[in-house]
Parts: sequence; C-alpha cells; structure tokens
Amino acid sequence: MSNAGLAMCVAILAATVGLVVLLRPRRASTLDFYLAGQRVGVVTNACAICGDYLSAASFLGVAAAVYAFGLDGVWYATGFTAGFVPVLLFVAAPLRRFGKFSLADFLGRRFDSEAVRLVAVGVVQLVVLSYLLPQAIASGLTWELLVGQGLAGLSPYATGVLFATVSVTGLVVVGGMRGATWTQAVQFLFKLAALTWLAAAVLGGGFSYSRAVADLDAQPLANPQVVDGTSQLVIADNRLSDEDPTFAEPGARYGAAGQFALVVTLMFGTAGLPHITNRYFTSPSGKAARTTTVWVLGLAGAFYGLAVLLGVAARDLLPGAVPGRPWLAALTTDGVLRVPEHALLALGRLVGGEIGLGVVASGALLALMSTIAGLLLAAAASLGHDVYERHLNPRATPSQAVRAGRLATGVIALAATLPALAVRPEALSTVFPSFTATMVTWAFALAGSALTPVVVLAIWWPRATAAGAAAGMLTGAVTAIGALVGGLTSGPGAGEVLLTPTFLAAPAAALAVIGVSLRTQVPQGLDALWLRLHGTAADRRAERLALLTIRGVRVDAGAEAEAPAR
Amino acid sequence: MPGSRGRRAAALDLARPLPLADTAAEVDATFRTERRIAVGYFVVFVVATLAVPALTLVLDWWSEGRVLGGMSPAFLMTAVGLYVFFFALAVAAASLASTVEDRMLGEPEADAGAGWDPP
Repeated sequence: MSNAGLAMCVAILAATVGLVVLLRPRRASTLDFYLAGQRVGVVTNACAICGDYLSAASFLGVAAAVYAFGLDGVWYATGFTAGFVPVLLFVAAPLRRFGKFSLADFLGRRFDSEAVRLVAVGVVQLVVLSYLLPQAIASGLTWELLVGQGLAGLSPYATGVLFATVSVTGLVVVGGMRGATWTQAVQFLFKLAALTWLAAAVLGGGFSYSRAVADLDAQPLANPQVVDGTSQLVIADNRLSDEDPTFAEPGARYGAAGQFALVVTLMFGTAGLPHITNRYFTSPSGKAARTTTVWVLGLAGAFYGLAVLLGVAARDLLPGAVPGRPWLAALTTDGVLRVPEHALLALGRLVGGEIGLGVVASGALLALMSTIAGLLLAAAASLGHDVYERHLNPRATPSQAVRAGRLATGVIALAATLPALAVRPEALSTVFPSFTATMVTWAFALAGSALTPVVVLAIWWPRATAAGAAAGMLTGAVTAIGALVGGLTSGPGAGEVLLTPTFLAAPAAALAVIGVSLRTQVPQGLDALWLRLHGTAADRRAERLALLTIRGVRVDAGAEAEAPAR
Repeated sequence: MPGSRGRRAAALDLARPLPLADTAAEVDATFRTERRIAVGYFVVFVVATLAVPALTLVLDWWSEGRVLGGMSPAFLMTAVGLYVFFFALAVAAASLASTVEDRMLGEPEADAGAGWDPP
C-alpha cells in the first residue's frame, strides 16, 4: 500500500482516538460507563447500533459471500437486515422501559433470580466470544493485505490481530459507552460513505447491475480450490439440482433446507445479540428505542443493498482487470479471488488506486473496531455489573465497579485474541469460503437459540418463570452447540442445516421455557413488574422533562406557565 | 419562531397535570393489544420473507425469468425488494404501536380503554 493510503488509514484511526478521548466519561459512574447516561438520541443511537452491528462480516463478509456464492450469499445481507424486525416488534421498547444495564441484568430482574442472571452471563459470554473471534481473524487478514508487514518480529496476520484487539480494548477502557457511542456512529457514517463512494465510482465507470447479474448467471459458478497442490477453478456442487450452479439462482451454497435454516437463524439471532440489545438501554425512552429501530432498518437496508451490489460488481469486473495488474494476478486464480473477503478491497484499488484501497481498508478497520468495541462493552457490562457488583463485591463503590468493568474488558479481549492468533485463515478459507460471515452466523445461531426465545417470552408471556427461563437458555445453548459441532463433522447435506440450527434449537428452548414454567410457581409482584415493562409513565416523564429542558421552562412552583412567555 | 401566544400555549400544555403512573388494568389491556399487533406483523414478516426462497423451489419463473434488464425476480426481491418491505413494515408497526400506547395510556381524564376499541 502507498504512503498516501496508509496515511489516510492512520488519520482516520487517529480521529477515532481523539473522539474517544474528547467524549470519555468524566464521572466515575457505571450508568455513564455502560449506558452513556441513557441520553443518546434516536438518530445518533441508530447510527451507533449500525456501527456496532455492521462488522467485518457485513463490510467485507457480505460482499465476499455474494462474490463467492451469488444469490445464496445475498441471503446473508437480507437475513442480517431482517433480524431487526423481530427486535422492533418484540424487544426494543419494553427492554428499554425496564431500563437495566445488560441483557443478563434484565433477565435477572425480570425473574427476580440470581441463577437466571448467572446462566444469562454465561450464554452472553459465549455469544460475545464467538462473535469476537471472526472479527479478530478479519483484523489480521485486513492488515495482511493493507500493510503486508509485521511488527516486532510478528507475522502481518498476528500484527493485525493484536493491533485491532489491543487498540480497541484501550479505547473502550478509556471511553466507555459514551466514547463508543459517538465513535460507532461516526464509524458507521464513514463505512456507509465508503460503500456509497465505491458504488458511485463503479456505476460511473459504466457498470450495469442488471446486465452483470444476467452475464454472471449465464455461466457455471466456479471458485478457486487447491487441487493436487495447485489452485484451480472448480465448479461448485449444485445443492438443488443436477445442473451446474449459476450466480443468480440458488443452490451454489445451500440446499432447500439449508436456505430456510440460514434465513431463520439470521432473522432470530439479532434479538439475542447482547451488544445490540445493550444499546437500547442507552435510549432515553421506550418510544425512542422503537423509533431508533426503524431508523436502523432504513440505514442497514441501504448499507446491505450497496454491499450486495459491490459483491456483484467485484465478480463481474475483476476477471477482466487482471491483465496488466500484477497485484491482482497475485490474489486470483483465473481471474477469481482466492480469498473472497478481498473482493471489496480489490475493487477499491481497481477503481480508486491506492487511495481507493485506503478508503475501503479504513472502512474495514473501522467496521472491525466498532464491533469489537460493542462486544467488549457488552461482555464488560455482564461480567462487571452482573458478576462483580452483584456477587463478588455487592458494596463496590462506583469507581471500583467501573474498574471491574475495565478489567473485564481486558480479560474478554485476551480470550478472543489467543484463539485468533492460533488460527490459520488460509485453512479456514478452504473449509468455509467467506468464513467471516459463516462464523458470525454461528454467533447468531447461539444468540437466537438460547437468548431470543427467553427474552421474547419474558417480555410477552406473564406466566414465564425463573426456572423456565434458565431451562430455556440451557436447552437452547446445548442444542445449538451440539448441532454446530455435529455440523462441523457432517457432510454438506446435514452439515449446512446443522451449522444454522436456530430453527431446531429456538423451538426447543421455547418449549423448555413453557414446559418448565407451567410446572413452577409464578413469582409475586408481577403487576408492578408489568407496569414498568409495558407501561409508559416513565416515557411520559422523560418526554416532559426533555420538553421542559428544550423550552427552558422552570419547574419551580407557580412560575412555569408564564416564565417562557416573557 | 412561535409568537408569545404560541409560547404561552406551549407552556400551559407543559403545565398540565401529568399522570404519574399507569394503572394495572390500563397496562394489561395495552399489553394484550400490543402483543396482538406484534404477532400479527411478525406473521406477515415471516411469511413474506420465507416466501422468497420458497418460490424458487416451486416456480421456475421466479429464479429463471428476467426483469429490469437481466435480474431474476428472486434476485431482485432478495437484493433490493425485501429491504424496502422490511422498512415499510417497520414504519407501519412502530406507528401503530405508538398510537395504541398514546391512546390507551397516559390520559388522566379518560377511563381506561373507554371510547376506543382495540384492533
């Protein structure tokens, strides 16, 4: 990469650091550290949620999945967006109205049970780790392509993994949720701008979306594989018919059952992702949380629509660009990229030179950083608040609690970094082309199986009990993990279904919640709890307070009606 | 900029008594209505989303036909159409849910549920 491109990356990362330092919480309060004081506005929070959600799996992985598998890859983008519809319908507003620190805290208080809280902490940590690992791996890959050199005797891949995890851990420790919110919002806007620029450049260069899809669909879909020690194009097996698979028809990656299993897994996973649900606690009211989700659906839809277009563009344009470009020839076999995650980066360099590569690479690094930050905060909130403050040191001072959250951030970062350093991404690419999106799907499967059914029933079924919730989380987690392990050791048919197991595990978890709850006693005080979960009195007070603040009305006795009129 | 009459009206509106808490009966009725709305929209969402891959299995035209210069209906729907559908559904569901809450909760002078039949 040229000095100009590298300078651009450094400048963008430096701006991120500056923003965090500027917005770091000044008070030693857990409400500030974990929830940014619960005063984040609708549009800011929507951008921050998008920054949190649109990880490397979205920025590089979705285009990679489309590039490698055509229509079967497009479902990743659609499924990631679809996941926010259940969040809107079932989770956003009531979850915020209950107004607690973390998903585990919500479940613990809803069921008045420390056992439920601790089971939820365990599941949350599993989800966070399984989500963090592909982000850390993608950091190494991006550094490898972007910089190409290691530091302090490390390989470029290891340097990238350590750079991303260590720097983001530092930013989270300093900035907490307040710093993360603004940086994630700005990072999302940069990512969206990068994709918009790339799409405009590609379309401005004469690329026709419809024609490209039709042209790509006219030939068999083939991807590089290592055969007898050399990389060569191999036509994928069609999982739906005996004909060769094509770009715009299903079958290149998933059979009939596999397609439905993938869509269901992505649709249900988002509502159980702790780093996303935690963001709703930062909204000022339940209604604001609901409106925020509508904005998220609009922004995420625009982002993923562009990512799909660019995956198609990379597949269409790169083969013809190989002659005369040694850098592209080195990445491809017969014009097709060996690592699909390079699709956007190669396209950026093709249309924008070194600066174009710098823009896309910066977007990729920001995608990694913003998601890692959100995941670390979610892990810190559940470990620091739900374990340390509730169990290890219930009399902790605010500064002790914040210190515990910062320590938890470091522990989780380390737990994700070590396996990422041990992984060989080339080997992963051979087993799972577009592995970033694939591995993130496993986190969705775990969240959608173990957490989503329990959270939805906790909010909408008054009869749910603590024993039922614990049984549901354990059943969902064990079923999902068992299926994932079975899927990794199975062939393509059963394997593709077992690797996206939510359609099996989520009903099992829901049945466990219902079955066990019906056999146990409903907790006392449900009416008061329901008033907080589904009542809007707190929302109205928050809205009134906001109006009074905006209009400068003094709430002092007697004068409030006349004061602003003077 | 609002005139002094407008500012006075706004201030008077803000000075209206605020119901401090909802009653259990009001919240129960609202919760049941909101649950029906959420489940109804969810069924529409699931059926419409899963219909896209389902149609590829039963209708050749869905994945082999060509519209808008070369895309199949399945590709067009998956890559563009469903995003528009999700957003429209979200706007409608959020508006309805907020309207229900506004009408069923927080009006001190109204009896719970009186004068309004839940959908």
